[in-house]
Formats: sequence, C-alpha cells, structure tokens
Amino acid sequence: MTDQMYPDGERSFAANAIQDLAPADKPAHIFRQGGVFLVGARSTSSGVPVFPPRRTCPETGATDMETALFGPGGTLYAFSTVHVSARQDTPYTIGYVDLPEGLRVLAQLRGGPWACDQPVLLRGDDMSWWVEPEAAA
Amino acid sequence: MTAPAIIGAGMIPMGRHKQSSYGGLAVPALRAALRSCDLTPRDIQLVTCGHAFGGMLTGQRIAKEVGIGGVPILNVDNACSGGASALQLAVREVESGRVDLALAIGVDKLTQFGGGTLPLVEEDPEVRAGMVMPALYGMRAGRYLHERGEGPEVLADVSRKARRHGAANPFAQYRSEVTRDEVLAARPIADPLTLLMCCPTGDGAAAVIVASDAKRRQLGLPGARVTASVLHSGKATTGFRHMLKPEITMNSARDAYEAAGIGPADLDVIELHDAFSIAELIYYEALHLCPEGDSAGLLRGGRTTYGGDVVVNPSGGLLSKGHPVGASGIAQAVEIFWHLTGRAGARQVDGARRAMTHVTGGGIAGMDHGACTIHLYEAMT
Repeated sequence: MTDQMYPDGERSFAANAIQDLAPADKPAHIFRQGGVFLVGARSTSSGVPVFPPRRTCPETGATDMETALFGPGGTLYAFSTVHVSARQDTPYTIGYVDLPEGLRVLAQLRGGPWACDQPVLLRGDDMSWWVEPEAAA
Repeated sequence: MTAPAIIGAGMIPMGRHKQSSYGGLAVPALRAALRSCDLTPRDIQLVTCGHAFGGMLTGQRIAKEVGIGGVPILNVDNACSGGASALQLAVREVESGRVDLALAIGVDKLTQFGGGTLPLVEEDPEVRAGMVMPALYGMRAGRYLHERGEGPEVLADVSRKARRHGAANPFAQYRSEVTRDEVLAARPIADPLTLLMCCPTGDGAAAVIVASDAKRRQLGLPGARVTASVLHSGKATTGFRHMLKPEITMNSARDAYEAAGIGPADLDVIELHDAFSIAELIYYEALHLCPEGDSAGLLRGGRTTYGGDVVVNPSGGLLSKGHPVGASGIAQAVEIFWHLTGRAGARQVDGARRAMTHVTGGGIAGMDHGACTIHLYEAMT
C-alpha cells in the first residue's frame, strides 16, 4: 500500500486493524488555562469534529484527522437520570452537551439541578471527566 | 406489476416464555400463519427471519422443525427493525418474481437476559459512557416537556391509551388498564420515564405469508397488499441533532407516502414504534399525523384512538402488547393484516382499508437510530 493510492491531501494508514479498543494510555481530557478540554480530533479537509478521536472523518471518510481540543464550556441539550443499569451503579445522570465548534458529547453530569439549555462546564480529575453546572463549577 | 400481499398471519401471545427455545416460540406462530391461508410448509419457497438475539441460524433452527428445507433461508439482524427488515426482504423477493410464496418470521427472547435494559453493543462509545435505551428516550422526553411546556401527564396518557387498547388484545403481554396516577407513581426508570412508560421485557414470535398478486388471486384469498416498503439507516452526525425531529423516521415516511401515492390522512390504522411513551408523541409529528407542535393535542383530543382520525396502536403497541425486539416488526404486520381482513375481533377498526407499520432499530452513537422500516398496506378483498 502506498500514498499514491489516496487522493491528494490524504495520508495512508496501513491496511490493518485500527486498535480502537486498546486501553487508553492517557486520559481523554487535559487541563489548559484553568479549564478542562476534551482531546478529540478534526478533519482538516471537512472541519468535522469528533470525540473520542478516530482515524477517519465520519462525514467524508477522509483520513486527515488532526488532534483538536474542545471545551471548556458548553450547553446542556437534554439529560436523564438513569435508575436501571447492568453496567454501573445507579442512579447516575447523563446528558448531551453541545460544545463550541459544533461537537455534541454524551457526558456524565455531577451536581445539579439540571435544566435543558443551561450553561455547563467540563470538569475532571486524573482519571475521568464530567460536567457541572456553570454556576457551581 | 402489482405489489405482493400478506395473505396469512399468525403470532403467539407475547409474554415471559422462559421455557421456550426460539423454535418453541416461532413454530406455533408460523403454523398459525400457514393455517390461516390453508397452506403447508411445502408451499414455502423462501424464508426470512428477523431477530436480534437469536444467535446463528435462527431461521433454520425454526424452519427445520416443520419440514421446511432446501429453500433459501435468510437471517436478518437490524435491532428492533429486524422483523420489519425480514418482511421487506420477503416482499422484495416475491416482487422480483423469483418466488411466489415467502414466509417472514420475527422472533426474540429477551428473558434470556434475566431482566433489565436491552443489552447494547459495548463497542459503542456512548454505551461505554452510560447510554441505555431508556436514557435515550428519557432525554427525548425531557426535551419534549421543556420545549412544549408540558408536564409528565402527557407521557402517562400515552401509556393509558396503549393499555386501554391492549386490554382488548388476547396477544398482549399487559392486558389491564392503568390510570394516569398509576403511571406517574410507578418506579422511575430514566427520568422523566417511569416503568409504565416503558415497554416490558418479554418473548414472542410472529409470522406472515407473502404472496405474489397472481398467486393470491389463484388461491382466491383476501390480503393486505404492501403498497410501500421502505428501509432507511440513520445518518450519523457528531454535532447537533434535534431530538424531537428524528430525520430517519421523517425521511422514511416521506419515501413511503410517495411510493404508495397516499398521505397520512388516508390511513385508518397505524402500528408505530412506541417502545417508550414519548416516542408515540414524537412520531405523530414525524409521520405528519399533525403539524409540528400539535402531538399532545392530537392525543388529548382522542384523535388517535377509536372514533378519531386514525387508530394508532390498536394492539396496545409495544407498551402494552410487548416488544421482543426482532419480533415486533412482524407482529405489527400481523395486527394490520387482521384489521384489513376484518379478523381483529373486539379491537377491530371498522372499515379499515389503509394502514401503516413503523419500527425503528437500535441505540447507536451519533444517529437517531440505526434502522427505520415503514410499510404501507391496502386491503385486498
């Protein structure tokens, strides 16, 4: 497989399995300028943002993904407190958060109270990230 | 060329059938379907089988029990749309002229998981972040109440209608009525949804016989002609998605109405995907039964029950009849066949001539759903 097989501006990656289930060697977020940012990616050609990062653009299939940071604030679009789960302790609250630059992420919500369309901030520790109301954070 | 028709149908009562295998669930359903049109297993030229959790060769495990063999058997997984996708495959094969008579089965056994929410695929990043199906619909419900200025009573009233309809259906898993207060006071599942706003866990099977028009006329049988059979996958986005405007259902409905040359006002009966009570309200608007913003009024005005504009979910829907996921698309078609051929008993929608079934499938990051299947039908007498 050679680069000549790809359109201009695209990079090849070996025609081998993408190891997207490999244990993460670093957290999905970083601390910058006092805020928490998610480490995602964006396609150079289409501008489509993704989180978690991936190797191909989900709109165009392009392989020109570059690391991009998203945060530290966003807007809570919708949320629900879950009382039944086989995977984790209940209750827990999750919600869709719209971040700047057109990215929506499913986030764990801590604190509250919650309302649709309220401003929220990303928060995190060494291990994980979550979302809190902007006023409380 | 004239579209194929369903000429026979059968199902078993949905419920908790822990002692039954997939064959044990589906064989009585397919035997009832064959009996209803006086055919035998030897008449079947092709089998399609929709399921989500049956494992390898589910269709073959069922068909071999009744002496169907040698013919093509195709297994279809499309999550909750598996049964309806199997119906589409059977319709397409008959329409192509390759076969005259096909059997479409839908079957699933959810009690094998011991209860709780539907097991989703752990590879999905949102599932790893805590997504379960009730939470997806809970978020839709919360957004609906927020945007429309409604209280949870409207969610309870969907369940109340479903249970009232289901009380007249001997095939329904829940056969008792509930009050608004009982629905609101039930234990919380995913706020604002309570247990009685969610479809139950259960097992079931359903089967239909699809015939070419020539074969149907040769047999001299009434039927439900399939005037549209539409399957869409969702379009993923990593950005904003309007949770009250599911593009997958809206686009499927547009294509189905266009294919059949009819509009929503022409429909007498609909079986739609009310896995959670909020879904019915959202789908009223997505299927254009009412203008955007009018779904609560449509329900409250009694316009989607007997005596209204169109009877939605006369079976009791997934909320009352039950939702063994891969079975539901075929079970909806069975219910419609019974109404269009005057065999629905106490819950018959009088004079039903045109009908729709609608079922979506799957919880998958970035999409409304992974699949949506819409079929339209016309009575052939």
